[in-house]
Amino acid sequence: MHWKTRQRLVTWALGTLTIGFLLYQWLPILTLAVLSFSGPTGGTTFPMNGVSLHWYRELWAASFIGDFKPPLWRSFLLALACSGVTCVLSVASAQAMRARFAGHNAFFFLLLLGLMAPGLLVGFGFALLARLLGMEPAWNTTAFIVHVSWTLPFGFLTMLAVFNRFDVKLEEAALTLGANRFVAFRRITLPIVLPGVIGAALFGFSLSYDEFARSMFTTGPDNTLPLAVLAQLDQQLTPELYAIGTATTLTSLLVILLTTTVLWLSRRRAAAR
Amino acid sequence: MSTIPLRSPRAYLLALPAAAWMLTAVVAPTLLILWVSFWGGRAFSTASPLTTQNYERFLSNATYLQLVLDSLKQAALLMLLCGVLGYCIAYFLSMKLRNPRWRTALLLAFIIPFWTSALIRAIAWVPFLGVNGVINQALLWLGLADQPVEVFLYSRTGISMAQLSLYTLMASGPVMYMLAQIPPALREAAMTLKAPPLVVFWRVVFPLTLPGVVIGQVLVFLNVMADFATVATIGGNKIALLANLVLNFYEGSQIRAAAVVAVLLMLCMLAGVAAALRVVDIRRLGA
Repeated sequence: MHWKTRQRLVTWALGTLTIGFLLYQWLPILTLAVLSFSGPTGGTTFPMNGVSLHWYRELWAASFIGDFKPPLWRSFLLALACSGVTCVLSVASAQAMRARFAGHNAFFFLLLLGLMAPGLLVGFGFALLARLLGMEPAWNTTAFIVHVSWTLPFGFLTMLAVFNRFDVKLEEAALTLGANRFVAFRRITLPIVLPGVIGAALFGFSLSYDEFARSMFTTGPDNTLPLAVLAQLDQQLTPELYAIGTATTLTSLLVILLTTTVLWLSRRRAAAR
Repeated sequence: MSTIPLRSPRAYLLALPAAAWMLTAVVAPTLLILWVSFWGGRAFSTASPLTTQNYERFLSNATYLQLVLDSLKQAALLMLLCGVLGYCIAYFLSMKLRNPRWRTALLLAFIIPFWTSALIRAIAWVPFLGVNGVINQALLWLGLADQPVEVFLYSRTGISMAQLSLYTLMASGPVMYMLAQIPPALREAAMTLKAPPLVVFWRVVFPLTLPGVVIGQVLVFLNVMADFATVATIGGNKIALLANLVLNFYEGSQIRAAAVVAVLLMLCMLAGVAAALRVVDIRRLGA
């Protein structure tokens, strides 16, 4: 066989495999979305017995299953708080890394540890610590502390990457022209790295919003959304769960779309300048 | 000159909050687990005498040891499947696909689910795998089976199928990153010197992507070992792996036993990472 034919065969085989995997990855998600619109007599699988918003109404009314609105609200607030803290701390720690202070390597690995350590162990360990300190576990205290230890490393790495490509000459120009360091940071540095900060905020929000392993041990009686879903799943799989899964997935997609649009616009504006 | 001078003492002030946060939320809890796993007595108190009995009790139970073995086997299976599949996909997307528009589209289709909840993605497999599930309905409709196959839901097969869809990207991503770093001149040089395509791949491309492969394997290993949600969602309560055992013991208020399992889980993970570091120097990756 000519080698070109063979190359083409390899390309086709790899392409088929890739497309096949993408279908494999997407079909369950799409099926979940389709089934969430099944009729009032539809169950957790096909046939759908009609098309309706019945399960979304049931979800909202919370007539059959537990009410998802308070956990949703808690998850939202928690994610928002994590996002804010992640922003501030990741900019501060990335800025600190630029000074190459003694021990900056150890600091880097300390933050990386939060990324590598499995949520199950971190959550369990922190629950023990809280108990030792006499702290009552709750979604807005213990869970918040543990969530940030998960979202911060992602924001930190994002900011490190952004500062790596940052042109120091711009800061130097500002400082030479008489700006003090604080003004130079606020007026020059921060606006330039802003897309990265938005990325860190997005990481913070979505990672905390979807987190359950860490929450499991540290949340206490008032559940967050993923925990409420797990609890309901433990009792019974119902089409309401499909509705909530579809709704959260759509929200995630919307947030991604929004952020990429903002980043794209800011880049275009920067290019136009 | 920049907004923060080299070796400025202010750097410590900036780094302090993050460092303190990570020490409190990650390092201290991990050390505490290790300590608690050696506690004797019954009370939850720092005055507990230290003993190795918790470990002896766990390690003398054949069922639990089998569970450790099962977890490692599950991780090995997923490392193999995700590794091969992830490499093929990475190679296709970075080297074979020339059309930039298609590449972006397929890359997004590959990555976007990673941004959505892993829990929801695991749940999405349930209507697929059941006795009346989508796979069985398809098999019956196609005439490939005359009665529903029961092996999917509440089985290790089903768990592996879902985990494959969840973790392939982790094996693929680092390889994609390494593939993008290879200068095209290297491959061209090899081809000019009349190396056949397979030799170019095996002697030039693959060794250069090896760090990516190893990091991908580590990520899959760590995630499968720590994954209790997929196992619980798809395995029902019929199947438990090491990570589920931590949760089960914790919910049964057997804190010491949970700590022992957590320590063993940690040891497995550290051993895996250490083995990977022997093959690849991760610190040299950025260079």
